[in-house]
Amino acid sequence: MPLLTSLAELNLKKVAMKNKNNGVWIGVEQLQNDPSYLETNKNEFTELPVVDSLSKGGAMDTEASRRDFLKYLGFGLGAATLAASCEVPIKRAVPYVVKPDEIVPGVATYYASSFVQGGDYCPVLVKTREGRPIKIEGNTLSKITKGGTSARAQASVLSLYDTNRLDGPYRVQEGKIQRSADRNERGPSWEDIDGEIMGKLSAGSSIRIVANTIMSPTKKQAFADFKAAYPNTEVVMYDPVSSSAILEANEASFGQSVVPAYHFDKADVIVSFDADFLGTWISPIEFANQYATNRRIKKVKGAKMSRHIQVESHMSLTGSNADNRIMVKPSEQGAAIVALYNAVAANTGSARVSGSKLESGKAGKIQKVADELVSNRGKSLVISGSNNKGEQILINAINEMLGNYGKTLDFNAASMQRQGTDKPVQDLVRAMSAGRVDALFVMDGANPAFDLPNAAKFREAMGKVGLKVSFSMVPNETVALCDYITPTHHYLESWGDVEAKRGQYSLIQPAIAPIFQYAGREGSRQTEESLLRWASYDMMSVMGGSADSTAVSEKTNPYYEKSKEDVGAFIFNYMKQHWQEKMFPQQSGFATFRMFWDSVLHDGVFVVENTGDTPAFSGNVNAAAGMVRKPSNAELEISFFETVNMGGGVYSNNPWLLEMPDPVNRCAWGNYLAIPVGWDGGNEFTSFMGLNPDESKGKADLVEVTIGGTAQRCTVVRQFGQMQGTLALALGYGRTETGMLGRAVGNNVGVDVYPWTSLDENGNVQYYATVDSVSEKVAEENRFACVQYHHSMGLTGEDPETGEEINVDEKTVMTIGEGYQGGLTDRSIIYQGNLEDLEDLSHHIEEKRTEAQKLNSHTLYPYDEYKEEIYDQGHHWSMHIDLNACIGCGACQVACIAENNVPVVGKTEVARHHEMTWLRIDRYFYGDYENPNVVYQPMMCQHCDNAPCENVCPVAATNHSSEGLNQMTYNRCIGTRYCANNCPYKVRRFNWFDYTTADLFGANEYDLNGEEAIPFGADNLTRMVLNPDVTVRSRGVIEKCSFCVQRIQEGKLTAKREQRKLRDQDVKTACQTSCPTGAIVFGDDNDKEGILAERLENPLNYLVLEEINTQSAVRYQARVNNKNEELDA
Amino acid sequence: MSAVVSPIREPLVTGGKTYHQITEDICSPTERTPSAAWVLAFIVAVTGLALFVFGVAWTVWQGIGTWDLNRTIGWSWDITNFVWWVGIGHAGTLISAILLLFRQRWRTGVNRAAEAMTIFAVICAGQFPLIHMGRIWLAFFIFPYPNTRGPLWVNFNSPLLWDVFAISTYFTVSLLFWYTGLVPDFATVRDRAKGIRRKIYNFLSFGWTGSAKHWQRWEALSLVLAGLATPLVLSVHTIVSFDFATSVIPGWHTTIFPPYFVAGAIFSGFAMVQTLMIMTRKILKLEDYITLEHIESMNKVILATGTIVGVAYLTELFIAWYSGYVYEQFAFYNRVLGPYYWAYIGMMSCNVLSPQIFWWKRLRRNVFVTFVMSIFVNIGMWFERFVIIATTLSRDYLPSSWSYYVPTWVEIIIFIGSLGLFFTLYLIFVRVAPVVAVAEIKSILKAGGDQYIGPNANKTHQESKEATH
Repeated sequence: MPLLTSLAELNLKKVAMKNKNNGVWIGVEQLQNDPSYLETNKNEFTELPVVDSLSKGGAMDTEASRRDFLKYLGFGLGAATLAASCEVPIKRAVPYVVKPDEIVPGVATYYASSFVQGGDYCPVLVKTREGRPIKIEGNTLSKITKGGTSARAQASVLSLYDTNRLDGPYRVQEGKIQRSADRNERGPSWEDIDGEIMGKLSAGSSIRIVANTIMSPTKKQAFADFKAAYPNTEVVMYDPVSSSAILEANEASFGQSVVPAYHFDKADVIVSFDADFLGTWISPIEFANQYATNRRIKKVKGAKMSRHIQVESHMSLTGSNADNRIMVKPSEQGAAIVALYNAVAANTGSARVSGSKLESGKAGKIQKVADELVSNRGKSLVISGSNNKGEQILINAINEMLGNYGKTLDFNAASMQRQGTDKPVQDLVRAMSAGRVDALFVMDGANPAFDLPNAAKFREAMGKVGLKVSFSMVPNETVALCDYITPTHHYLESWGDVEAKRGQYSLIQPAIAPIFQYAGREGSRQTEESLLRWASYDMMSVMGGSADSTAVSEKTNPYYEKSKEDVGAFIFNYMKQHWQEKMFPQQSGFATFRMFWDSVLHDGVFVVENTGDTPAFSGNVNAAAGMVRKPSNAELEISFFETVNMGGGVYSNNPWLLEMPDPVNRCAWGNYLAIPVGWDGGNEFTSFMGLNPDESKGKADLVEVTIGGTAQRCTVVRQFGQMQGTLALALGYGRTETGMLGRAVGNNVGVDVYPWTSLDENGNVQYYATVDSVSEKVAEENRFACVQYHHSMGLTGEDPETGEEINVDEKTVMTIGEGYQGGLTDRSIIYQGNLEDLEDLSHHIEEKRTEAQKLNSHTLYPYDEYKEEIYDQGHHWSMHIDLNACIGCGACQVACIAENNVPVVGKTEVARHHEMTWLRIDRYFYGDYENPNVVYQPMMCQHCDNAPCENVCPVAATNHSSEGLNQMTYNRCIGTRYCANNCPYKVRRFNWFDYTTADLFGANEYDLNGEEAIPFGADNLTRMVLNPDVTVRSRGVIEKCSFCVQRIQEGKLTAKREQRKLRDQDVKTACQTSCPTGAIVFGDDNDKEGILAERLENPLNYLVLEEINTQSAVRYQARVNNKNEELDA
Repeated sequence: MSAVVSPIREPLVTGGKTYHQITEDICSPTERTPSAAWVLAFIVAVTGLALFVFGVAWTVWQGIGTWDLNRTIGWSWDITNFVWWVGIGHAGTLISAILLLFRQRWRTGVNRAAEAMTIFAVICAGQFPLIHMGRIWLAFFIFPYPNTRGPLWVNFNSPLLWDVFAISTYFTVSLLFWYTGLVPDFATVRDRAKGIRRKIYNFLSFGWTGSAKHWQRWEALSLVLAGLATPLVLSVHTIVSFDFATSVIPGWHTTIFPPYFVAGAIFSGFAMVQTLMIMTRKILKLEDYITLEHIESMNKVILATGTIVGVAYLTELFIAWYSGYVYEQFAFYNRVLGPYYWAYIGMMSCNVLSPQIFWWKRLRRNVFVTFVMSIFVNIGMWFERFVIIATTLSRDYLPSSWSYYVPTWVEIIIFIGSLGLFFTLYLIFVRVAPVVAVAEIKSILKAGGDQYIGPNANKTHQESKEATH
């Protein structure tokens, strides 16, 4: 933690105050009233020695002549003109008075920590510069995520600098936080608020703590200690996107209310019923990593990969990666699971169960799935995202029959990432309504007034609770109904621990001192500390005998300021004590706790291996089969799903995530009603009710959707892969209280679908519904923030006349007027094939590449000679992207934004295709037009050695380095945009407005979502997230991916300092380090050993648009599917 | 005299003018109080100019984001307008230089106004590359001026830089050519003027005395400039076409562009000359100088160049198919049948189909038809540039980046405003300078031989004078 002010300085300050110099002094002499100083001070203006000495002998006339006057006038005017034409005002820069030991300006420091938000978990390394956390990297020592990250983890650093964060505790009255309009005015003190809250609590108070999943052993210990003082306390854990049924089913089947550990890497056949395990389900970073390891193609002959079958109605991120998708309506999920159970049971000689029936066509497919599973016994995995207890029990039974327990899933390292159940929170609502709850504490992240299916009821019940306290960092819907808000720290300011899986611990350590405390505010305080203070916990007991921090005050303790700096000292000691008691004894590697602690703090992770057999399955499958969902006869059903960026709604004040397009529908800033797409057999694609006819022109329709009697207005998006007769809409949007007045960028973005969710007989939340009606278009959406329309590359369908399979893209490539966004299949952008035809694919790629290279050799400027002379000499940077490993999760996109200070532009601007992302993930559909496959293609500057952008720039603002980098010289750029036009990959971005508020003109500073106060990015707090190694671009300038040139430079400097050659993987780009599946590898082409060299040998590699001779530096590896053709029939 | 009159050639100036009448007719508009028509036109034009200034100021103050360009479509109305105006600026120099070298004497009736039009059109064109950068104060970066940055030069590989040279050269030569022609005529105006006007015109005419030496030098300079300007007519639009032809974008990257652009430029230039001449001759009563002969000749040029352009359009389509290159094929497929199909239809019907009516002599000589046609051609040529620029960019290689474009009000007022700028300059021009080259038209007065035969034969100077008054 940086020391912002040193103690010595403070003492001097106090002396200065005594001298009544208004706090201003020059040097120690003045402070000490040194006589020599007083003497010189008295005569300060009496001498003019320079003039005196010069004018000796009359050599200088000190009077100004008319000529002099004119000279000065001219100079003055000239200087004023020059000064006035300076472009950018310099903002404050404060140097260190005393440099902290651990900080070297210009050199980043990394701290191991963990990103935790409810059940989201990612062990991370926090990159700090000059004391500011600016970037999140994955922790490669973690056995869970293996260095991968998610978009949420990447964006979490921005939340630290959220201008909506509360700078201290506040009272809340009538939905308003009692905060002075004057931001400089200090709010109530912690002592005041503590006193008021404690005054309202008595030993017998019935206290309920509402939280999302808590994985912290220390926090749970703190709850226990709190409970010691207030015995009538209960912790109610729930999750906004619930996995309640899994916990209940495992309780029923194995007597353990946990989520088992899954091993997707060990499964050859993966069947997922609506579980988005690559995007949002339980532990997506971990699962994505496992999934990709079993799907990597290293050689063409004898290549192997897992087969992934997804059963769903909506195209989820996971479904989009699947080899086969079987489309069933949300209400048919139960029937499908029963069908699979019976099919597997028939194959393995178990008894059948009777439950909901699936329609025969689909049942046939399920039968084939069962055959596959049975022939891969012990090497398969069946999961379901369902929140129906019966269905989950059947899933357990299926895995049991297939002998998967102990192989592809087990309970030894069971996941703790979902602990919330749905019943207790409903009990709480009832208890609150009945007036049986005296005090309600809502943990940070939990927002029951928004995300419960019966949130309205909860809000009403809040009125009957005597004391309501929220620990949220930022305002939200629940805070508005509380009496007090006692904000906790951001995780980057906190001490904490995580047990994400049984025996797999990691630590959270602060990477910055709590920000607001140092800005002269009351500041935030960690939840644990607040609770224990209210419980009058004996804080001395863990403070190692230091002064009782509760008694410390300015008057009695001269070190008051200093000890405030050690906020967290208590919680740090408290946690350490807990670790000494609980975790230290579990290991044997370290003799002393000190060594153990230092090691864990350094590594960030600590693992205790658990071994043991899976308990026997004891579920009642017949009863379970009776509990499954009943297929509905409704014409139209809708499913509600979680997106990778918004979660259950907790991230909806983070502009990086708001602006991250959903990987599948490629829309940002809102949730969009996905409607199915059909084909008329002729020249046109059709859509549900003919909606969105002009989507390709950026126009979308607004419709009224009525579900359960309530109607809401939704923006429509056409969605390939959406089952006919179903719709889908994302959860977590439509929040109304995401921040302070005038600063809340997340307010009213999208539609709140929680009121449309329901509870089933077991009290579990159901994320689907039958749709009463969808109106015709009621209005036009004028801000349709979609960055890519439904592009396809080789969709097939049946010719209605001949019955043969034909290419629908080419058939529907466009019709007059409408112009559908179909693509021509022959473009050398995407190559994909099936596992069995891998050799054909490899030949096809080879053929196309040979042809392209032959074309390229017909040139007056032979590239090979040039390459030999220049690029083969030193470094030649290049990249490899494995399209088979890329799942489209978007972590790289957010990582790139964080690393490169890429501006956020807001919904209106995204709708105008003004988004600034340097790295985007293109998505193309192929295969059957109703049930297509998807390929994701991360697309960034290709760093062409024969770059079309470079030769067209009239001022040479973009040019090529001898290491093959395509470079931008921002202050040379005059903004003709010719380079952007001539870029075949369309990766260049223009600063249409002053998105970064770096410009001279104030008029074009842009707000993101109608916020009235200072524009996003202009606030000094927000600007702390900027990476000082990367220039902030002002308006009128083109920018693009630089291959993280600042990281290359850093790597080269490190190597130089260490007097060695740069090694492979010394330099990793931000996208590479963020990727959970290792799809991206960056490196030096001239380095013939190492990971990149190995990847470059793959016969499935190709260059995008190789035939136009750009000599690009990014190699893509073709997408391969392991499709079971029978399932498509 | 009812007998059939058969002059050797149709007279180039009708109405049996005498030399004095020519001077009177042409110089008097600069001396009279402006007519109501002129005043009205001027108000409209200046309003347009005000819109232009506002639109540009708004763009500079707010940023290019006030336009609807996006990550995919980096140029649209801005560069469309630029190319359109440059194209219009072609006819003047073509008429002055190439027709002079080819001894096409009919050119003298229209060359002055056409040259003025060229200059004003190039002024309008020159605005757009500057405005479209947004930060116009950095425009000096594109000039290869000596500097202390290394020195850091401009990128001589960039067609945009070639544009800078091509257009500034063209503008300079055209301006010189135009002004050279004006010198003796300014002297004529000076000789008729009094007071301050006399002083001004004296200055403008460089003290021209009409001595033989002056005439000799004037003739020589005109010829030299004509020689210089001739290749420029061909080079300017060739180089403008390089902006597109040297790129890698399918639909832009075509070798046919230079001749196709030049033909298109002459086509649109002549159309604009027609538009202006028909209005000018009506308002300033110059029907005797700008005759139906002129109109017909120019219509012939329009027919010829329009057909060349049409052949070019069809050739493009053929080559796209013949090349077997998917991207090229798609680009043209998209041009014809894509979301901007209406722009393609507009281009084809205005540029290729409609000029075909000029195969009929009656329509060629019909002033009203010609006027309507000239507007059509200008619309068609604007669409041509829009089709090439915006349609092509909107859907190129990667379908993921395809987009759509509609202009914002700012872009629209800048375009309309540029017309205001053009007409403001032109209207000032007709008030201060002789619209027809007095000295030159006098040289062709008797070219038709009609002073010897026909209704104008054997009129004395005195008779003509009386006829006028």
